[in-house]
Amino acid sequence: MKSKIGKIALIVIPIIAAIFALYPTYNYSQLESKRADYLHRANQAGNSADSLAIMNEFKKNYGQEYQSAKENSLQLGLDLKGGMYVTMEVDVVKLLRETAQKEAIDDTFDRVLEATEKESQTSDESVVDIFSRKFNEIAKPEGKSLISYFDLGDISNASEEAILDELTKNADGAINQAQEVIRQRIDKYGVSEPNIQKQGSRRILLELPGVTDESQIRSLLETTARLEFKLVRSNAELVQSFQKIDAMLASKSSKSPAAAATTITDTANVTEQVVPAPEATAELKSTDTTAKNNDVASTTDTNKKEEVTKADTSNPYEGLSEKAAQNLYSSKHPFTRMFATFWVGDTKDGQMQPVSYDINSFPQQGNYYFRIHEDSLAKLKIMLKDSKVKSLLPFDTELAFQAKSEASDAEKITGQFLDFYGLKSEPELTGDVIVDAGKNVDPTSNSWVVNMSMNSDGSDKWASITGANVGKRIAIVLDGNVYSAPNVNAKISGGSSQISGMANAKEASLLEIVLKAGALKAPVKIIEEKVVGASLGDDSISSGINSTLFAFGLVILFMIFYYSRAGLVADISLLINIMVIFTILASLGGTLSLPGIAGIVLTLGMAVDANILIFERVREELNKGRSLRSAIDEGFSKAMSAIFDSNITTFMTGLILYYVGTGLIRGFALTLMIGILSTLFTAIMVSRSLIELQLSDGKNSSFSFGQSKNS
Amino acid sequence: MQFFDKTNIDFVAKRKILITVSLSTIVFGLIIAFIFPPKFGIDFTGGTEVGVKFAKTMPTSELRTAVSEIGFGSSEIKTFGSEGSFLIRIQDSDNAPEILKNGLNNKFSDNPHEVLKVDKIGPKIGNEMRTQAFLAILFSAMVILLYLAFRFEFSFGFAALVALVHDIMVTFLIVIIFQKTGIFSLEIDQTILAAMLTVVGYSINDTVIIFDRVRENRDLMKGKSLVSIFNRSINETLSRSVNTTLTTELVLLVLLFFGGPTLEGFAFTMFVGFIVGTYSSIFIATPFALWYFARVKKLDVGENDVKSITA
Repeated sequence: MKSKIGKIALIVIPIIAAIFALYPTYNYSQLESKRADYLHRANQAGNSADSLAIMNEFKKNYGQEYQSAKENSLQLGLDLKGGMYVTMEVDVVKLLRETAQKEAIDDTFDRVLEATEKESQTSDESVVDIFSRKFNEIAKPEGKSLISYFDLGDISNASEEAILDELTKNADGAINQAQEVIRQRIDKYGVSEPNIQKQGSRRILLELPGVTDESQIRSLLETTARLEFKLVRSNAELVQSFQKIDAMLASKSSKSPAAAATTITDTANVTEQVVPAPEATAELKSTDTTAKNNDVASTTDTNKKEEVTKADTSNPYEGLSEKAAQNLYSSKHPFTRMFATFWVGDTKDGQMQPVSYDINSFPQQGNYYFRIHEDSLAKLKIMLKDSKVKSLLPFDTELAFQAKSEASDAEKITGQFLDFYGLKSEPELTGDVIVDAGKNVDPTSNSWVVNMSMNSDGSDKWASITGANVGKRIAIVLDGNVYSAPNVNAKISGGSSQISGMANAKEASLLEIVLKAGALKAPVKIIEEKVVGASLGDDSISSGINSTLFAFGLVILFMIFYYSRAGLVADISLLINIMVIFTILASLGGTLSLPGIAGIVLTLGMAVDANILIFERVREELNKGRSLRSAIDEGFSKAMSAIFDSNITTFMTGLILYYVGTGLIRGFALTLMIGILSTLFTAIMVSRSLIELQLSDGKNSSFSFGQSKNS
Repeated sequence: MQFFDKTNIDFVAKRKILITVSLSTIVFGLIIAFIFPPKFGIDFTGGTEVGVKFAKTMPTSELRTAVSEIGFGSSEIKTFGSEGSFLIRIQDSDNAPEILKNGLNNKFSDNPHEVLKVDKIGPKIGNEMRTQAFLAILFSAMVILLYLAFRFEFSFGFAALVALVHDIMVTFLIVIIFQKTGIFSLEIDQTILAAMLTVVGYSINDTVIIFDRVRENRDLMKGKSLVSIFNRSINETLSRSVNTTLTTELVLLVLLFFGGPTLEGFAFTMFVGFIVGTYSSIFIATPFALWYFARVKKLDVGENDVKSITA
C-alpha cells in the first residue's frame, strides 16, 4: 500500500464490483414489477387466449433481459418468498413387494417386509440390508429361501447374493425414473422455477416456489407412472380434421372482430417462425437373431411417393404483400397456424415436406409430423379443451405431446420445439410386460440404441401388434408424455426389440429410464415437507431488513462513540464489508434465506471485532508513548496474528456446518464464511487504507482513536 | 472514551476454585440434561407442525379444545410471533394439515385463518438430523483442537476444548432452564443447533485472542512467572473482549426482538452463548492452561509477581 492511488483503488474497486454484481438484482426487481403489471392485465383479460397473448407480449419485449437478470440476481430462499420444500425417498419396501413374484408372496414374506418397514423408519442402514437380515431371522427358520420369492432372469446363477445385489441396483435405479416422472408432472402443473435434484442415491429434493397447495402436490408426486405403447395415428384423417377445426374457429372469430384482432397480434404464429423439420430416424426392429422376417418385411414396405400439391385453382394470396398474405393465412387458420406440419411419403429415405392447410386433399399414404413451440403449447391445449374442437377430432384419437427435455442454456431463451402426435386412445400394450431395458452402442451404425425385452405373454402380443403395423409408428408413452415414436420395421417375434435413432447417450439413457418404468414401478414417498406461506415470507423479509438496519445503526453509533474518528473509519469499512458480502453471494449464485440474513447480521457484530482488536492495540502503543504513525503500524502488525487465528477457527466451524448441515443451516454457514473472508479483507486492507489516506492529508493532529488523553 | 484503563486484575488467582466450579457445572449440566431431558423440535423428533394466523386472537386454551375436537387429541399449541398466530403440533397422519385446516375453518367460521407454514418431518429424517448434529459438534471440536495444537501448543488446544465443552453445557443448561420455566418456549431444533455451533466458533475465537497475547508476552516478559504472564495477557485484552461482546450482543438483542419468531430461538441461544463464551475464555480456558502447565508439564507456574503493569 505504497501509493495513494493504490489505497483509493482498494476502497473504490469493491464498491464498483458491488454495483456490477448487484445491478441484475436491482434490474430483476424492476422487471418483476413490470411482469406483475402484465400478469394483472392478463388476469383481467376476458379469456385465456387473450391472457396468453398478453404474457407472450411481455416475453417478446423483456423476455431475454428478464431471463438474464433473473439468472444473475441474488435469489431469495423459499423461506422468504414462500413455497414448498419436499424431500422424497424411494419406498424400497414397496419396491421389494412389487419386485417379488406375486404368486410367491405369502404370510412369511409379509411379516419380513413389515419388520423391515418398521426398522427402516428409524435406521440409517440400507433397506435391502435390513431386509436381508430380517429375512434370515424370520423366513430362514421356516425353510424359505430368497430364490423362491424373486425371479430375476437367469435361474442358473440365482444365488442369494446375486438377488440382493440386483435388489440394491433396482433401488438405486428407481430414483432416476421417479425424478423424470416428477420433473414432467411439476412442469405440467405449472410451477415456475422449480428446483429438482437428486440427493444421494435414494432421495429427491424439490423446491417449488409459490406453491402452497400441499395436498394437491402430494398426490401429484406420489402417484406411480404408467407406461403404455400406443399406435400413432398422425394420418390424413387427422390433418383433415385439423382443417375442419380451422374452418370452424375462423368462422367463429370473423363474427367477433375483437377476438380476431388479438389472434393476429399474437406472437404464437408459426408462419413467422422457422421450424426445424423433425428427423424421422427412430426405428424399431427385432434383435432376435432367429427371426429372419426382417428383410421380408422391409421389401413389403413399398410406399408410393405422392407429391403434396396445392390443388387450389384460384389463389387468394395473389397480389398481397408477404405480410398481408401471412395475416390472411393466419386468420383463415387459427388452429393450425400455431404449429408446423410436415409430410413424408417414405420414412426410410423420403424428404420431409412442409404442409399447407390451404390444399383440398392430403396424401393418404405416408406419415405426418407436427411440431409446436412450447410458448404456443398452452394456447393449443386451451383450444383442445373446447368440446366443439374435440368433437371434430377423429374417433378414438387423442393428441399427445413429446416430453419436454431439460432445457439447454440456448433453449432457456429461445424455448423448445416439441413434436406431437395423434395417438389411438386405447393402448396396444402396457409397460408391465417389459422385463428389462438397456442402452447400447450399435456396432454396425455406431450410434446409440436402446434394447428392451419382454416376458413371454408380452412377446406374443408384441409380435402380433408389430406384425399388423409394419411401416407405422408406435409411441412409447409414460404418464401421458411421448418419449419416442419409432417406426416399425418388421414384425418382432421373440420379445427382444431395439429402438434406434437416438441422437446421443443422454437421449438413450432417458429412454432406458422410461422403458424400465414398465418393468419396475418406482414407488416414492414424501419423508419431509415444509410449506412457507407467502405472508410469513413477507414478514420475514421485512423483519430481516429492519433488524439488519437497526443492528447496523447501533454498531455504527457505538464505534464512533468509543473510537471517535477511527470508529468512523471502521463504520465505512463495515459498509464496504456488507457490499462485498452481497457481491460474493450474488456472484456465487447464492440464495438469500432467513438464516442467511442472520449470518450477515452476526457478521456485522463480529466484523467490528477485527477493528476493535486493531484499535485497542494502537491505543496500547500510543500509551507506550509512540507517535501516531508508528503506533498505527505497530498496532496493525501486532493485531494480525490474533485476527488471523481467531477468524480461521470460526471459519472452520462454518465449513463443518456447511458440510454436515442441510438446507437452512447451509445458508447460514455460507454467509458466515463469506462474512469472515470479507471481514478479513475490509478490516485489514480497507480500514488501513482509509486511515492512511486521512493521515496523508495532513490532518494528523485531528485523527484519534478515542484514547484517553492522559498519556 | 475508554471503559478499562490499565487494569491489573488478578484473574487467575482463584483458579483452583474456578476449575472446581466449572467442572462441577459440566457434571451438573449432564445430570440436569439427564433428569430433565430437553424438548426437541420436530427437526429432531419428526412430526407435523402447522403455523396459523387468525384474524382475531383467542386464548390458547380455546384453540386447544377446538383442535382436540377436530380429532387431534394430544396436540401442542403455542403462540408464534404476532397476535393471533399459533404453532400447532399434531400427530402425523396422511393429510393431517389438510384436515386441521378444514376443521379450523368449520370451528371458527367467523374468524378466518391463514396457514403461515407447514412442517412435516418423517422420523427417519429426524434421526438423521440428530446424528448430523452430534457429528457437527464432534468434528468442530476435533478440528479446532488440532488447529490450536498446531498453531500454539497442545496445552492451549486442551484448555480451549475444556472451555468449549463448558460453553456447550452451560448454554444448554440455560436453554433448558428457560424451556422448563416457560419464559422462552425454546425447543432444540436445527436453528438452535446452528446457534450452538456458532457459539463454539465464537468461544474459541475469544480464547485464541487471549492465548495469542500469552504467546507474545512469553517472549516479552522473560523471567516472569507464567501466572503473571497469563494475568497480564487477560488484562491487556480485556477491553477488546468487552467491546466485541458488547457490539455482538447488541446485534443479537436486535435479532431477538425484531428478527421475527423464526429467529427467536437462534438469537436467544447465541445471546446466552456469547456471554458464556466470553466468561469461559477468561475464567476457564486460562486456568486450565495453567493447570496443564503445572500438572502435566511439571512447570513452575509461579505466583503473580507483577504488581503494576505500567511497562
